[in-house]
Amino acid sequence: MDISRRDFMHIAAVLGLSAATAGNASPKTSSQISLKDIYAFNAKGNFTLLHMCDIHAHIKPLYWREPSTLLSAPNLTGTPGFLCGEAFAKHYGLEPSSLDAYFDTHVDFETLAKKFGKMGGIAHMKTYLEHVRKERGKENVLFLDSGDTWQGTGVALKTRGEAIVKAQNYLGVDVMTGHWEFTYGKQRVMELLKMLDAKFVAQNVVGNDPFADEYEELIFEPYTIEERGGAKIGIIGQAFPFTSTANPKEFTEGWSFGIRPDTLQDYVNELRKEHKVDCVVVISHDGFSVDQEVARMVHGIDFILSGHTHDPSPKPITVNGTVIVIAGSHGKYVGRLDIDAKDGKVLDYEYKLVPIASNMIPADPEGIALVNKLYAPFDKEFSEVLGTTKNTLYKRDTFFSTFDELINNAILDEMKCDMAFTPGYRWGTTVLAGEDILMENVYEMCGITYPNVYTFDLKGQQIANLLEDIADNVFNANPLYQQGGDMSRLGGVTYSIQVAGKAGKRISKLMIGGKAIDLKKTYVVSSWGGNLQNAGTNLQEKKIRAVYDVTRDYIKRQKVVDVSNAGNVTIVDYDCGCPVKGATSC
Amino acid sequence: MKRRDFFKHLGSAAVVAATVTPTMSFAAAKQANTISYKNALDAITGGKSAKTSKSVHLKVPEIAENGAVVPVTITVDSPMTDADYVKAIHILVSKNGNARCLDAHLTPANGKAMLATRVKLNGTQDVSAVIALSNGEFLIATQGVKVTIGGCG
Repeated sequence: MDISRRDFMHIAAVLGLSAATAGNASPKTSSQISLKDIYAFNAKGNFTLLHMCDIHAHIKPLYWREPSTLLSAPNLTGTPGFLCGEAFAKHYGLEPSSLDAYFDTHVDFETLAKKFGKMGGIAHMKTYLEHVRKERGKENVLFLDSGDTWQGTGVALKTRGEAIVKAQNYLGVDVMTGHWEFTYGKQRVMELLKMLDAKFVAQNVVGNDPFADEYEELIFEPYTIEERGGAKIGIIGQAFPFTSTANPKEFTEGWSFGIRPDTLQDYVNELRKEHKVDCVVVISHDGFSVDQEVARMVHGIDFILSGHTHDPSPKPITVNGTVIVIAGSHGKYVGRLDIDAKDGKVLDYEYKLVPIASNMIPADPEGIALVNKLYAPFDKEFSEVLGTTKNTLYKRDTFFSTFDELINNAILDEMKCDMAFTPGYRWGTTVLAGEDILMENVYEMCGITYPNVYTFDLKGQQIANLLEDIADNVFNANPLYQQGGDMSRLGGVTYSIQVAGKAGKRISKLMIGGKAIDLKKTYVVSSWGGNLQNAGTNLQEKKIRAVYDVTRDYIKRQKVVDVSNAGNVTIVDYDCGCPVKGATSC
Repeated sequence: MKRRDFFKHLGSAAVVAATVTPTMSFAAAKQANTISYKNALDAITGGKSAKTSKSVHLKVPEIAENGAVVPVTITVDSPMTDADYVKAIHILVSKNGNARCLDAHLTPANGKAMLATRVKLNGTQDVSAVIALSNGEFLIATQGVKVTIGGCG
């Protein structure tokens, strides 16, 4: 398992990036790292699983800055799933300023972005996939996708997912599961699945409409069995368990989700006893920390290829005999897992999280042509320059990030509301300081199928209760009660939070418009990307408008956007955003 | 397979449905249909303590998809013989106005101590299965259920 660490050292050495020389040596370009270093792998066993998750429709390379705050309950903070920055680098032994430090952490992001360039992109990813297929033999390789693939960019939104299905077919995805896929609605999901070459599996999506034929029946195949390298591999799908609460219910009306560990156990047993598979794999959208709980509850899973929480995890973790990996987000990585399995047993494995560094891994011309073709109808709209940004715009972090603040500012400005809610999901894009903000970037931040900004009334008491409710979804000490996202981003509001506080008692000093919240007062609230409007009254229908239009118009009015990373939240029980396990300061 | 299972469950639920006791008569306060968790538990056990037990399998989601219809399945390991059987399965919740959701009375003829139903939860709270055994003892299993408006994606 130390291979990736050795790789980092190697790359760092090639680059002359050790701390001692970084200061005086002239910065070397990424071209001096050989592809060999990225490709280096101690091949093992009879087959290879390649894995991606949460690419969020980023078929082109992008900048993506990892979080500088990733806090949870004290028992979880500093453990895999809640590691960031220096704590992450320490946990995984990353060399400062190395390619992996650039991919995996926010530290020195802007400097390293200039050095190493953009990340991901299907044309570059394909080159790596083909390298492995060639090395191992195509018939010994499976490419698995843990979902959140069809949604997240303008080209995905405008083609209602079709462009991304074409990208998956090009990449050669064999099996996938889903989450944001469902936000295109049930009917569209079924249409897209007909276009998709890969199989779609989910053991935890079950009909719950008593008047439908599919009542209490599985909506998708729960698993598939594939043969590679002479081994029978059972692959079970686990879709996002909280799709119907985290996203609008109407998209999946009549379908019930949930973790469903009991049926998961049944399928593991069925694969082992009836089908005599050599290896049981779960492709999962549970999230990294929930999957650690699933591995405690369900016995006999060899590998969980996790997704949803966007963690890059350079090393696998093992829980109750189950090895869990997760491959970051936005197409930044491909996970390579070589497995030696026969006679119903896994004997050995080797894993590496491979950074798709677009300046180092050459693009496949066919992929470039495909991307250009898919983007062509929208190029004019997407490439419009709306303005420039003074500071880096990014999305992530537990409480606040600059692109969210920009969106909240746009909403406050147009809607004339007292406060704004922007959802705490973990996908989007990064625009470096000084760069142009394109319309494409706005879609990358908020291109969803339910984009409306709603403006309505909420009582102070309701707002306070809502924030506590959301805080408990994020900070509950038991991952099974979390939903794997971050706090909603609030515009026009400041507050203090005790992350480790009791449910309902975490938030204090809640201020709206610079004044302490009046629990009895009625506030005008704007919100998008959630269900909050259902809790409000006096919905202002004339103001309803898509968030990407609101944001576009605001940036155009501003011309130069100046959002600082100061944040609006005071954390009472942590002094910094990325503490190591057990610490409250850095 | 799963569908058949479901009808099997439905069958056993139907058996007990006939004996479900309406809980309205327990409303002690002025407000109709209001009963606290403690009063409900005491009314069932007669003040005796209910023992937390691994033989009570309470299956309920950690996070409800819809608070109005939260699926609850209770199975009790019991031989269900004349000498040793589950007399009743009760579902209590900690915060609804009426904490006492359901009483199901069983006999050895039920063959299996199992019940599947849905309860309505007016917010995040605990759901408990209280089991009355034929020997006069009471068992309990409890799990928290989060009813949330949702927030993140």
